[in-house]
Amino acid sequence: MQNEANQHIARRAFLSRTSAGLGWAALQSLLSAAPVKTTGFSGILSPLHHTPRVKRVIFLYQAGGPSHLEVFDYKPKLAEMHGQPMPESFTKGQQIAQLQGKQLTCFGPQFGFKKYGKSGQEISELFPHIGSVADDVCLIRSMWTEQINHDPAHTIMNTGNIGTGRPSMGSWLLYGLGAETDNLPGYVVLMSSGRGGQMQPIAARQWSAGFLPSKFQGVKLNSVGDPVLFIRNPPGMNAAAQRDSIQAVNALNKIQYDALKDPEVLTRIAQYEMAFQMQSSVPGLVDMSKEPKHILDAYGATPGDGSFASNCLLARRLAERGVRFIQLYHRDWDHHASIKQNMPLKAEEVDKATAALINDLKQRGLFEDTLVVWGGEFGRTPMSQGGNGRDHHIKGFTYMLAGGGIKRGFSYGATDDLGYAATENPVSVHDFHATMLHLLGIDHLRFTMKYQGLDARLTGISGELVKGILA
Amino acid sequence: MRLVSILSIFAVSLSAASAAVSFNRDIRPIMADTCFRCHGPDKNSRMANLRLDLRDEAIKPNKKGDTPIVPGNAQASLIVQRIFSANAAMVMPPRHAHKELSAAQKETIRQWVEEGAVYEGHWMYQPIKRPVVPSSAGGHPIDAFIAQRLAAAGLTASPEADRRTLLRRVTLDLTGLPPTPEQVDAFTADQSPDAYAKVVDRLIASPRYAEKQAMYWLDSVRYADTCGFHGDNAFPAWPYRDYVLRSIRDNKSFAQFTREQLAGDLLPDANDETRVASAYNRLTRTSAEGGLQPKEYLAKYGADRVRTLSSVWLGTTMGCAECHDHKFDPILTRDFYSMKAFFADVKETGLVPDQGAKAWGEVMMLPSSAQKAEWTSLEQRIAEAKRALETKRESLGAAYEEWGRALPSLMKDWAVQYPVAAATRNGAKLTLHKEEPVLSVFDFGGSVVSETKPANGIVIASGPNPDNETYELTLRPGAGTWYSLGLEVISDDRLPGARLARGSDRLVVSDVEAMLGGKALRFARARSNMTFWDAGLSPWNAINGKADTGWGAATYRTFRTAFLALDLDEPLTTTAATTMRVIIRHDSPYRRAVTGRFRLALAASPLAQPIADRTQNPTIPGLSADLRKALEIEPAKRTEQQADDVKALLDSTHAELAPLWNALSRLESERAVLRAQIPQVVATVATEPAETRVLARGNFLDDSGMVVEPAVPVYFGKLATDGRRATRLDLANWLVSPENPLTARTYVNRLWRQLFGIGLSRVLEDLGSQGEWPTHPELIDWLASEFIEPAVDMAPGAHAWDMKHIVRTIVMSKTYRQSSVPTKEMLDKDPDNRLLARQSRVRVDAETVRDVALAVSGFLADRFGGPSVRPYQPEGYLAALNFPKRDYSESHGEDLYRRGLYSFWQRTFLNPTLAAFDAPAREECTVNRTSSNTPLQSLVLLNDKTFVEAARVFAQQMMAAGGRTFDGRLDFAFRRAVSRKPEPAERSILRALYTRELARYRATPAGAKALVVVGEAPRPATADPVELAATTSIARAILNLHETITRN
Repeated sequence: MQNEANQHIARRAFLSRTSAGLGWAALQSLLSAAPVKTTGFSGILSPLHHTPRVKRVIFLYQAGGPSHLEVFDYKPKLAEMHGQPMPESFTKGQQIAQLQGKQLTCFGPQFGFKKYGKSGQEISELFPHIGSVADDVCLIRSMWTEQINHDPAHTIMNTGNIGTGRPSMGSWLLYGLGAETDNLPGYVVLMSSGRGGQMQPIAARQWSAGFLPSKFQGVKLNSVGDPVLFIRNPPGMNAAAQRDSIQAVNALNKIQYDALKDPEVLTRIAQYEMAFQMQSSVPGLVDMSKEPKHILDAYGATPGDGSFASNCLLARRLAERGVRFIQLYHRDWDHHASIKQNMPLKAEEVDKATAALINDLKQRGLFEDTLVVWGGEFGRTPMSQGGNGRDHHIKGFTYMLAGGGIKRGFSYGATDDLGYAATENPVSVHDFHATMLHLLGIDHLRFTMKYQGLDARLTGISGELVKGILA
Repeated sequence: MRLVSILSIFAVSLSAASAAVSFNRDIRPIMADTCFRCHGPDKNSRMANLRLDLRDEAIKPNKKGDTPIVPGNAQASLIVQRIFSANAAMVMPPRHAHKELSAAQKETIRQWVEEGAVYEGHWMYQPIKRPVVPSSAGGHPIDAFIAQRLAAAGLTASPEADRRTLLRRVTLDLTGLPPTPEQVDAFTADQSPDAYAKVVDRLIASPRYAEKQAMYWLDSVRYADTCGFHGDNAFPAWPYRDYVLRSIRDNKSFAQFTREQLAGDLLPDANDETRVASAYNRLTRTSAEGGLQPKEYLAKYGADRVRTLSSVWLGTTMGCAECHDHKFDPILTRDFYSMKAFFADVKETGLVPDQGAKAWGEVMMLPSSAQKAEWTSLEQRIAEAKRALETKRESLGAAYEEWGRALPSLMKDWAVQYPVAAATRNGAKLTLHKEEPVLSVFDFGGSVVSETKPANGIVIASGPNPDNETYELTLRPGAGTWYSLGLEVISDDRLPGARLARGSDRLVVSDVEAMLGGKALRFARARSNMTFWDAGLSPWNAINGKADTGWGAATYRTFRTAFLALDLDEPLTTTAATTMRVIIRHDSPYRRAVTGRFRLALAASPLAQPIADRTQNPTIPGLSADLRKALEIEPAKRTEQQADDVKALLDSTHAELAPLWNALSRLESERAVLRAQIPQVVATVATEPAETRVLARGNFLDDSGMVVEPAVPVYFGKLATDGRRATRLDLANWLVSPENPLTARTYVNRLWRQLFGIGLSRVLEDLGSQGEWPTHPELIDWLASEFIEPAVDMAPGAHAWDMKHIVRTIVMSKTYRQSSVPTKEMLDKDPDNRLLARQSRVRVDAETVRDVALAVSGFLADRFGGPSVRPYQPEGYLAALNFPKRDYSESHGEDLYRRGLYSFWQRTFLNPTLAAFDAPAREECTVNRTSSNTPLQSLVLLNDKTFVEAARVFAQQMMAAGGRTFDGRLDFAFRRAVSRKPEPAERSILRALYTRELARYRATPAGAKALVVVGEAPRPATADPVELAATTSIARAILNLHETITRN
C-alpha cells in the first residue's frame, strides 16, 4: 500500500541524518560498554513551516461518544421540550444510528449546568474540577463529524479519512517533527476503561502509521502485563546478561557491516541499542511510586491501577520525557441507556484527573508548550433512546482544548437551541486537525505524502484553520 | 513533498539517455504531478476549461484566442508563457498548489513543445506486444534487457553470487526457509552445468514454495480470519487459504485462478473447489455493529471490492474514483460504480451477523465424506425423532395444553447450595460465599453496572489461572429428594472469556460429575438456558465423559447467567448428614476457558428449568418470567419464539413426551458437535443483482445518481455480451483477455518486487500515470508476454498464464543470480539499484522471520494447509476488544510451531510478532509490504517467547547434534542459521559470551532453570540446565543476527 518511494527516501533521509551517526555512537558504546547519548529522529519538516506554539499534544480521547448535552453544551430549550416530539425540521433526511425509523422524542439535559470561573463558561455540575480550570480552557461547542458508527468515527478522528491504511495524527506528527526522546517511543497510546457504559472495541489501526514507515506508529503502553510488548527480558536473564548478549549481537553485526558495508546493518545495530535503552527506561517511566502523595491525590491516581487518572499522570511523565503525541483513550462513554445513572460514574473517573493534569502542567511550565485536547469520536442525540439514553450523533458536539496558543476561558461556536447541529462556526474534524498542526508549526496544506497517486494529507481535501480559538 | 521531487529528478536523470524529449518518459510524470489535477480527466476539478492530457484539447485556442500549446512554437504557447512567468499571479502551477516546477522541468516542457508536442499513450494502457530481445550472445532475455540499460549507464553486471549465498537466496525466496547444511554441501559439490536448475526445480516443486507464494496473494486479497470491524469476530475463511495453497502448488493457470476466485460459483463446471475459491468475494471487512446503516456498509463492501480488484489485477488506483473522476488516469466515477455493479449479485446484508444461527450470512459447509455420511444419517434420525415426538404430541390432544396450565403450580424452585468445601486440581483458588455482599460488574441493557449484593452461595475463582482446571465442591444438601443438579455460571464484566470464563474467548465445561460416597451419580439428560449451541457447546457434552467436547458459550449475547441443568437418572434422597461431591472439569483444548463465578443448586422437582439469571426472577419457582408469560398466552397468539419455547418446555417435562424429547435433543447435540467440526467457508451466492447507482461524492444517502450496469472502464471498450447483463465471470474473462494489457504487467511487476526487493515500476498498486515509469518497460512487457503465452523454445511444458514458469524464468536469469555486494561505482551511479548491476539485499518477511527461527531450531511443523493456528501472543493483547470480551487461547503441540502463514489473522489486533516485522493487518488489499527496521523488532527477537523458545530448542539441537565441544556446536549452529561456518572473530566473540554466561548461570542456577523451561517444546530430561542456558544464549545471539533474517 505504501508508497515505497517515499518510504525508501524517508528511510535514507533518516539514515543519513541520524541513524548512521547513531549507529557509530552505538558501536563506540559497545567497545566502551558505556551507554551513549543518542539523538532521535528530528522529523522530516526541518525547518518547520512557521514558529510553533506547542511542542506536544496530550489527547484525552473520550471513546464511545460523550454526550455534549450532559458535559459542556447546556440547552434550556431542550429541557423545556423534554418528552415532546423532536421537530422534524431538525432531523429529516439525516443519518441516525440505532434510532433509525423510531419515533424521535426530545430528551432534556439530565444534569444542571453552572457558570464557572471569571469567564463564566457553562459546564455541567457533574464536572466541578474541569469547571475549576474553566478559565484555562477553550470549548469548541460546534464540532461535527461525518461517521456515525464507532469504528469509522474513530478512524476519521484519528486519520482524517474513513478508509484504512492512512496514518493516524500521532504518526503524522512523529514523521513531521520527530520526538525529543531516544529511549521512549515518540507516540504513546494509553487506554483505560471504567464503569457505566458499553466498552466499545478500539482497533490497533487507530494508532497505525498507515502508509508511513511503521516506526512512526503509536506504541501502546499497557497497564496489565508488560508495559510495552516484549520489553521484559526472558526468564532468568537480568539486565547485565541482556546487555552482554546485545553487545555480542552488535559486535557480530559489526563484522557483517565491515564486510558488506550495508547501511541496514548499521541501522540494525542502532535499533538493538535503542531497544536496550527502552528496556532500561520504561520501568522507571511507569513506576509512579515516587510521585508525592499530593500529586497522586490531586489526580486521584493509585499507581498501577490502570485508571484514567493514573494515565493522566503518566501522560505528564511522558510529556516531561519528550514524547511528541500522547493519546489516552478512556472508554465506555457509549450511553445508549441509563445516561442519568452512568454519567456521574464517568464524571467521577475523568473530572478530577483532567483538571489535575492541566494544573500539573501549569505548575511545571509545560502547559505553555503543550496542547491538551479532550473529546470523543462524536456526540449524542438530543433525542432519547429507550427513554433514558442517547444515540450516536454527528452533527454537533463539544471539544475542549487547552494549552499553548489557545484562548483561555473562551467558548467558540455553538449548536442550535436543541443541541442538534453545529450552527455557529462549525468546526469539522479536518478543521480541528488543521488547527492542531498549525499550533505545532505545520501548514496542513504543505504537509503531504504521495499515496495512491495523490498528495495525501491529514486534512484530506479540506480543513480550515480555526483562527477564532487562537490566542 | 520535497523528497518526491528529488526522486523524480533522479528518475529523469537516469532515463535522460537520448536528447529528444519523450512525452511518456519526461513530460507525463511532470504533468501528472503538477498539471493534471486541474487540467486533466476530472471535469469537476477542471480549471479554465483546459485539458492538457489530450493533445486535441491542448492545441485548441481558448475563448480569448490564446492557444495553450502551439506545436513547434514554444514562445506562442500559453502554457510555456505561464510556467516561465515571473508574475506571481500568473505563474503556473499557482502558488496555492504548493507545486513548483524546477528550472530543468520547465526547460523540458519548453523543449517538448518546441519539438512538436508529440503525445504518447501511457505505456501501461497500450496493448502488450512481445518486445524484441536486445541482441546478446545467446543469453537469457532478462539479462539482455538489463545489460542494455547497464551499458548505457556505464555499469556492468556483477558476477554470480557464491554457491552458498545463491542457494540461501533462492531457497529463502522460493520457500521462505533457509537451506539445510546438507543442501548447501550438495549444491556446493555439484559441478554439473544444471546444478542450479535442479535446485530451482526442486524448490518450485516443494509444498513450501506454495506456502511462500500464498503469503503475498493472501495480502493482496486481504485474507484474514476475523471480520475486521467492531467485535472483529472470527469468520470462516481458511478453506479459501487452502484453495490458494493448492492452486499454487498445482500450478493452476493464473487465468483459471482469476476466474475461480471472482466467479467460481458462476462457472459452467462449478464445483466445491471453485465455489470455495469464490469466497474471495466475501473477504471484505464486515460489521455487526448495532445501529449501522445497511446502505452505508453495503457501499463500503462494494467499494472495497473495486479497490482490491483494481490494485491486484489492474495495477490502477480506482479508489479515488469513488468520489470523483480520476485526475490522472482514464478512470471515471462512473467506471468505479460500473465495476462495483459486477458484484451487485453477491448475496449479502449490510449488517453481517457475527454470531448465532445466521452468522456470516451465506456459508458453505465442506464435510469430509465420513462427515457427510454422518451428517446425512443424523439428519435422517433427527427427522424420525421429530416425527415420533410430533405424533405423540398430537395423540395427547387437549391434554397437552392442560399440562402447560398445570405446570407452574407443580414447579419448585432450585435450592441454592452453599458448598462446605472446595478444592482445585491445578492451583486456582475457589472462595465460597454464603450471604455476605459481593461486588458484581455486569452488562445490563448496554450499560455496565456495578452492584454489591448478598452472594447467595456464589463461588468465585481467583489466583493462579491454569489452562485447564478441575473444581471439586462438597455439598451438604440436608434431608430431601433431588431430581436435578444445577450449575449456574454467572457473567461478570471483569472476566475476559466472554464474561464467563477466566480466559479464552469462551466457556467450556467439559464434564460435570456428582459423587455420593464413592459412587458416581448418573445423569439422564442435560439442558441449558442457551438453546443455540455455539461452536457445538451443547449441554449434553457435559455428561458425555469426553474431554474434547463441552458445554458453555462463545458469544456475547446478553444473558446474565448460563445455566446447566443436569437431570439425575434416579431421584437422590439425602439425609441431614449426607455429603456429596460435584466435580466440574475444564479439560478442553481452549486455554483458561474455565468458569469464573458460579453457584450450585439442586432441584426438588423433576420440572425445574434452566433459567438465565435466576436471581432476577426470584418469585417464579423454577420458571423464567418470559416462559411463564408465554404459557399464559393463548396458543394461537404466541409469537414464534414463544411457541417454540413453550413447546420445548412441555415436550421436555411431560412424562410421555420427555423420553422422545430427550432422544431428539441428544441427536441435535450430536449434530451441533459435528457441525462445529465440519470446515466452513463464507460463500458467494449469486442472487438478483441489487441496483447500483453512482453515488455523488461517495455519499450513500444520495439516491439521485444514475443507475449503472456492470461494465469495465469505458476507456477499455465494452464487453461483448449481446445485451445480456455482464457478470463476474465476464469480468474475470476480460481481466485475463488480450484486450486487457494491465493484468499481466501488474502481476509480473509484483513478482519482480518479490525477487529483487523492488518492482521494475516501484509503485506496485499503481502503474498508471501517478505510479512510476518503469525502469525497464520492455522487460515488463517481455515478462508479461512470456506469462500470457510462454515461448515454446524457452519453456517446454509451460502453459499460458503459468505462474511457476514465470518465477522459474526470473530466478534462472544471471541478473537474479548475481552477487548482491555493490561496488563503489554502483553505489555512486545507482544507489537504489534500479538498474540491477547487482542483486538487492532484503530483510525476510514477517512470517519468514518466524519460520527461519523455527526451521533453524529444527521444530517447524511441516503440515500443509488446514485451519489457522494460534502461536504465542502476549497476555492482555486483545483487552481492547469487546463483543465478546476475549482472551487469546494459544494452540497446543504441533500447532504452536506451524509456519507464520497459518497464524490466526486478527485484523484489528494482528499477532504482534508478525506486525512488528511489517505483516499487514489485511484490512485492505496490500500488494507491497513495507520493510522497516525498528527497536521493536529487536525486542521481539530478543524477548518474544517464540524466539526465546526457538533459541532454547536450537541450543538443545546444538548439544545433541553438534558434538561435545563448543567449536563443534557453534559450527553446527552457524551452518544451520546462516549456511556457513563462523569466522574466527565471530567465534571468539561468542566463545567469550559463552564463558561469561556459564559463569553467570553457575552462580545463579535458578536463572538457568527459569530460562530453559520457556515454551512448551519438549526438553531432554538429562540436559544440564546451566549448560543448556548458556548454550541458549549463544543460540539466541545467532537467531538475532541481521544475517539470519536477511536474504543476501
